[in-house]
Amino acid sequence: MSEAKVIHERKHVWRDEILLIVSLVVFVGIVYVLDGAIQPVFTPNTLLLTGVFLALVPAAIWLTFFYLQDRAEPEPKGFVLGVFGLGALLAAAIGIPVVENLFRVSHWLRNDTMSVILGGILVVGFTQEFLKYAAVRYSIYNSGEFDEPTDGVIYATAAGLGYATVLNINFVVSNGGVDLGAGIIRMAVVALAQAAFSGITGYFLGRAKFESEQIWWMPLGITLAAVFNGVFNWLQGIVTRPTITLSGATTNTWMGLVLAAVVALLTTGIILWLVRRNIRSLEAGK
Amino acid sequence: MANKQASLGDRFAEITVILVTVIALAAGWFYKSSIENASLPFSAEGISAEAPKGWLQAEPSGDVLLRTTDINSSGFGATYTVRKIAIAGDATSSEIASRVSLEHAQNLIAFRMLDQREVTVHGRDAFEINYVFVESNPDLTHTEIPSVVLGTDYVFLSGDHAIVVSFQADEKNYDLDLNRFHLFLQSLNF
Repeated sequence: MSEAKVIHERKHVWRDEILLIVSLVVFVGIVYVLDGAIQPVFTPNTLLLTGVFLALVPAAIWLTFFYLQDRAEPEPKGFVLGVFGLGALLAAAIGIPVVENLFRVSHWLRNDTMSVILGGILVVGFTQEFLKYAAVRYSIYNSGEFDEPTDGVIYATAAGLGYATVLNINFVVSNGGVDLGAGIIRMAVVALAQAAFSGITGYFLGRAKFESEQIWWMPLGITLAAVFNGVFNWLQGIVTRPTITLSGATTNTWMGLVLAAVVALLTTGIILWLVRRNIRSLEAGK
Repeated sequence: MANKQASLGDRFAEITVILVTVIALAAGWFYKSSIENASLPFSAEGISAEAPKGWLQAEPSGDVLLRTTDINSSGFGATYTVRKIAIAGDATSSEIASRVSLEHAQNLIAFRMLDQREVTVHGRDAFEINYVFVESNPDLTHTEIPSVVLGTDYVFLSGDHAIVVSFQADEKNYDLDLNRFHLFLQSLNF
């Protein structure tokens, strides 16, 4: 228990998060411009395959940055990939069936503001955040490799991106492919949002493991992440609402990406500040 | 940094997370039910019912007093229709059901009768027809696959009129939407 171990802040974790946000926005821009310039013609199969490939890109970007920069005290790559896979599996096996088939949210969640917020928090938010929490809590959490508070953020982000990847693949497959321009924006929004909310759960998980927190600590973390999730979905619905004018309707999908990037940056900043403060207080208490 | 030992408090915290999630999902379920079962009073020509709130209601036309559709349904939107048909005094419910089936066969694509029988619906005698048809968007530029729709009609006799209450839904959603339709049937008064 009293082993002397340097507390790493793992500064690259924050760099990875910010690089993910910036790279995704750049990637979306490139795909959007290329789609407009080349106007590729797809067969149904190639459209589906392209969509599935694009759904994997956000996670691939984050994992690449993470692998390149995690050198000071590297996390076992297999564990990070394993938690990513577990997040994806839980989304496919439980998350999507519960939200779409059991609760059938598409039938009643669009009726009014109150239902979008309340349903978004109670059903979508809690289901997604609990499963991402479970992907970390019942796998790596009890392992010796989960040895710093920042590890909570790393593994929860991996679980969140796994979850986001399956949400995006499900979207592509259920629509038989997607329009590249609008599709890539949606995928980036889902990935950024899921990674950001997972970061919140990860921060609470990291502290729960290394400090004697109250019994309400972890439920508070899940609840906060679920509330962020629900409120974000509501806000996204507002900012992406089509503008109808006399000359026709224009979609505002780009606004969704801007919102997601701002939310992800803000969340990362707040978690960074909280983790730093936490590490300082732990070092002072040594 | 040293891992702290998993304590009784940690176990309680873990159970609390599960409990909070279960409570949130249960609250979500009740909230979902309250929205799905919310209703608006409908009344026309001596017939009243509690129609689903938030559905798209068409203007009454001819013998159709109510036609309301769930616009949030995937595929063919679940639709309830109430018709009031003038009949001869000695007409039986099975005769009216045959007439309604014939109309369906003329108006619906690939209409097939699945079964028909006499039933009691919330204390009232009725004739039930179950059928299937295909709903295709008439716009040839639409690339969507036509929907297979399941339908159920109940024919009630009321003096010199027959009340025909129909429920039509995409085959994928039919079973899931049936309970809501039975609430509607239960609220029907004439």
